[in-house]
Amino acid sequence: MMRPLQRPIQAAAGFAPIVAILAAVALVVMGVSLALFNESQIQQQKLKEAAVQADILAGSVTAALSFDAPTQAQQYVDALRVNPEVEAAGVYDSAGKLVAGYGQQRGVLPPPTNRPGPPVLQANRVIVSRPVAEGGQVFGSVYLRIVEEPAGRRVARYSGIGLLIVMAALVLIVLGFGNASLSDAHRKLQVEMDEREQAEEALRLSREQEAAARFELAERRGREALQQSEQQLAFALEAGRLGSWQIDLQSGRLQASDIFRRTCGGAHPDQPLDTLESLEACILPEDRETLRRAIARAAEDGADLEAEFRTTGRDGALHWMLLRGRAADDGEGRAVRMAGVSLDITERKAGEERQRLMLAELNHRVKNTLATVQSIAIQLGRMAPDIATFRTAFLERIVALARVHDLLSSVSWRGAQLTDILQQTLAPHVAAEGQGERIRLEGPPVQLGPNAAVTLTMAFHELATNAAKYGALTAADGQVQVTWAADDPGAPRVIDIEWREIGGPAVTPPERRGFGTRFIERGVAREFDGTVYLSFEPTGLVCRMRIPLSLKLRMAA
Amino acid sequence: MNDADTDLSGKRLLVVEDEAFVALMLEAILEGFGCDVVGVAGTLSRGLEYAADEALAIDGAVLDINLGGEKVFPVAERLLARGVPFIFCTGYGVDGVPRDFAGVPTIAKPYLEETLKSVLTAEIAKAA
Repeated sequence: MMRPLQRPIQAAAGFAPIVAILAAVALVVMGVSLALFNESQIQQQKLKEAAVQADILAGSVTAALSFDAPTQAQQYVDALRVNPEVEAAGVYDSAGKLVAGYGQQRGVLPPPTNRPGPPVLQANRVIVSRPVAEGGQVFGSVYLRIVEEPAGRRVARYSGIGLLIVMAALVLIVLGFGNASLSDAHRKLQVEMDEREQAEEALRLSREQEAAARFELAERRGREALQQSEQQLAFALEAGRLGSWQIDLQSGRLQASDIFRRTCGGAHPDQPLDTLESLEACILPEDRETLRRAIARAAEDGADLEAEFRTTGRDGALHWMLLRGRAADDGEGRAVRMAGVSLDITERKAGEERQRLMLAELNHRVKNTLATVQSIAIQLGRMAPDIATFRTAFLERIVALARVHDLLSSVSWRGAQLTDILQQTLAPHVAAEGQGERIRLEGPPVQLGPNAAVTLTMAFHELATNAAKYGALTAADGQVQVTWAADDPGAPRVIDIEWREIGGPAVTPPERRGFGTRFIERGVAREFDGTVYLSFEPTGLVCRMRIPLSLKLRMAA
Repeated sequence: MNDADTDLSGKRLLVVEDEAFVALMLEAILEGFGCDVVGVAGTLSRGLEYAADEALAIDGAVLDINLGGEKVFPVAERLLARGVPFIFCTGYGVDGVPRDFAGVPTIAKPYLEETLKSVLTAEIAKAA
């Protein structure tokens, strides 16, 4: 930039000392020449001046000489004394004899005789001799000896000039060297400036590189942050088992994540899933309209898309899917794209179904229970001789019914074990310390469905109440033994249960069948499509039930 | 039709009901109406046996829909084929009845004796 302009200065500065010396020498030579020329000029001037002075004196004394009046001549001569340079002056008559004169100092008197002649330069003195004449007649001559400037002064004068010249030369030289060092300094400065400029250039470059590096770093960080957030998103989607999807509404092109494909992609691994159509192909035909309508609605009014439908997944199984999304518009309100997530809600749907079934089941059970209560009331009402008997009998059964409900509730109505309902039914009638002795329950695990549990509990309740009122449990040592076994343990079809009372009072068959016996012999037998026999043996009551295994009653694993 | 009691008396009825108490009650109620309860089935297979028994004359039937996890509908179809009128009684409500039997009267448990009588009477009268 600045460099091209400064290069010539730098080049000239290199020659400065030589030029300065040459200039100084030239100056000295010129000074000496000038001094010599000046000196000769001064000499000529002096001669002329001296001649003029002599002529003036000659003119002045013409009359004195013509009239031979030496005193007058002496007066004119003395007038010259004021000039110290006029060392000696004299006036001579036509014969050449000194008429008047003086000398400034003794011994330097004008010569006694004189003849006019050319001016003479002699030992720093100018000697002039001029004739005194008028009208062609010569009356005599005058003599002047004028002292030149003393040599010391002249030398001093020239020395001063010489000194000035030398000083000027020195100044020149000094200036030259100064200039040289200045230009050297300048050069150094220039070098420094160049270096600085290079440094600045390097700095600029490095700043540019730094900026570029920073930009790249920021970009990389941005990329990394993006990557990280993408990873986090992917992780969250993966953890939440959320699929993601995007549909181009114009072309119908579909982009779907792996999770989406796993659950909605159809059973064939290479089945394409890149259009809305190919997605619909994987949806149950009756559910396709649901999705179409949901998409159309979301595209139309920008509402959130939410649709539930069933698809075939890669595993070949049916999946309940929940699709959530939203339309993106082109800035003018036209929906161009739709994107969102998908969630496999198969389990939720199954849970909902379970809950729905359970609620229905509970409703059913409540109504059945009420029907049972109704049944008990109606039958007891027909048999009871009076209200008091009815009330006692009715409440006993309600309590028994409530107890089996408690037992079933505690296992969420999944059913109960035969041994548990027997234990629960008999326990209230036997003191705690004697239960191990007086109640014997033996048989393989048998699982009862809720209805079977209610029915058998009520049957055993009738038997236990009877035993406690009239049978084995009225005696201190009386026992109730309940044993049961499958007909063929390897492939059971039927289970035989025997209720046997021992150690009670002697038994006589009742005169008429009451509510309990009717329920046990007819109700239980019909419900399980089995057989039930009550046998009033003298040693105690025996009840034998043969019940086919079914959904409501089965051998536990 | 002038007297409901006389309409049902002597009618031979089939009961398919899996819950012992309800079945006993139903039997007692029907007997109270003067009916002859020709069979009480607690299971689907027993119900089918009764329905398929052409030798067993049946004038009408009261069917519980849910029989220990099985549905009573095969029995209903058999009765329909025989031209035997029947009604459903269920703890599930009317929703549990399939479209094929949409016209079959359904009463919900628990029910009043009078309700049972009028519905059953009307259904048997309709078939006659």
